[in-house]
Amino acid sequence: MITLDSARELAPYQDQPAQLPAAANGKVGILRLGFERRGDRTILHDLYRQSPLLVQRALYWDEEMPQLPCVMILTTSGGILQGDRLHLDVTLAAGSQAHLTTQAATKIQEMDANYGTQVQRFTLGEDAYLEFLPEPTIPYRASRFVTDSRVRLPESATMLYGEVLQPGRKYYRDGELFAYDLFSCSLRAERPDGRQLFVEKFVVTPRQFGVARVGVMDRFHIFGNVVLLTSPERAARVFDRTSTPVWDEQTPLASAVSRLPNDAGLIFKVLGQETEPVRAAVRAFCVAAREEVTGRTFPPAFSWR
Amino acid sequence: MAETLKLLQFGDSVFPVGAFSFSNGLEMAVEHGVVHDRTTLQDYVRTVTRLAATGDGVAVLAGHRAARAGDLERIRQADQAVHLRKINEETRTMSVRMGRKLAEAATRIVGETLLKKRIDESANGVPVTYPVALGVVFADLGVDEQDAFAAHQYGAASTVLSAAIRLMPVDHLDAQSILFAVNERVADDYHEVRTASLDDMQTFGPHADVLAAAHQHVHVRMFMS
Repeated sequence: MITLDSARELAPYQDQPAQLPAAANGKVGILRLGFERRGDRTILHDLYRQSPLLVQRALYWDEEMPQLPCVMILTTSGGILQGDRLHLDVTLAAGSQAHLTTQAATKIQEMDANYGTQVQRFTLGEDAYLEFLPEPTIPYRASRFVTDSRVRLPESATMLYGEVLQPGRKYYRDGELFAYDLFSCSLRAERPDGRQLFVEKFVVTPRQFGVARVGVMDRFHIFGNVVLLTSPERAARVFDRTSTPVWDEQTPLASAVSRLPNDAGLIFKVLGQETEPVRAAVRAFCVAAREEVTGRTFPPAFSWR
Repeated sequence: MAETLKLLQFGDSVFPVGAFSFSNGLEMAVEHGVVHDRTTLQDYVRTVTRLAATGDGVAVLAGHRAARAGDLERIRQADQAVHLRKINEETRTMSVRMGRKLAEAATRIVGETLLKKRIDESANGVPVTYPVALGVVFADLGVDEQDAFAAHQYGAASTVLSAAIRLMPVDHLDAQSILFAVNERVADDYHEVRTASLDDMQTFGPHADVLAAAHQHVHVRMFMS
């Protein structure tokens, strides 16, 4: 199994928790999801899970795409704890479609030893379509977290990958802004023959280099990052609809779209001070992407989410 | 003394790689009032050099080390690693354009080098990128990797500062004072990234990314980034 323990940025945090040792039984969460087409719709035909990660079953709640299995990823431990090692492996067979999300925000809990890691692998067949739109990630005070995601897909397939990163528990007690130790995130995409498309990696260590500065986060707190991997023709249509940059001093909100290298697709970045405007901007981009790729729109957001 | 002179020549901001046509995002930052005085300009320059150190700076060292080993394949891998990570179009264009210009200039001035071989084979493959080319050139010239890294960091800062003089009310002495202050950080940045591999290259500048991506939509602009 792939581990991230040797990541350079984790070198200062190799001590063991006083509780269960890192990667002990109960700390290694595994989720393997396999989707394939059955008639008109896609089914979750392969499901392997190991706590603290949990998936119960696919639901078909999307009224615009009733053939689309929607899968909610749960954690049985209330977030990511020190010593947790999570693995997510998602495969979509040719022509299949899926929507993945999380039940609640990913809470990276306070830590005083070790770290949490997450390895994500997504493999898509020809013409497959995957939406991976988890709820926001909240790194708590002194948390250390490394996540490594790889997507392998042919040009005919599409993946919409959207994440929202919070600064911490902004309204908890006196407010918690960028009080975490380490948040490291990398995403790379490649073709089935191994040809590399792009890599984005960021390592945020607020105590080593300030986050609230010009060029990094400036006055913003919430960072939304959406990657659309799809064919150049579809990417061009989405770009036409979404490329006008936003610079709204009032809300405030700033966003812009850029074309990824090697015709991989688009990347949309949005910054705000509060979560809702950022989520709304992420959603608007996702609506344009889904409409251009599938010809269907998103149903209205659930009022309780 | 010979190496110092080569460092001064190839690390000079007037060396013809076209740096003067880029602002490293400053034009958009000034337009939105994000950078508006000496203090905010210095903060911005420091952010740019920090991102340059943890990203392209690692590639400068990789290019230098590969050239010292005479390993063209490793140089190509470093170029690919840089290109894959240029997720913004304008910065991608800048890296490839300046890389090609540096390779062509070095070939003309120095003669047959590893960069010449690299540019010959890049026609239908991985483009030459600026940070890797800079590392390779300095290795070829006998300049050590610390100085190559320093020249790269100096270039990142001076590109922004020379644009600043044209974009906002700061004078040459302000710009030189900022350059002097920001240069104080170069040694620490080198110390931090010298053991990083190409896979460790990273940047966290969403604010700069948004400004860079917005820049291409501005109709009237002085700079290409």
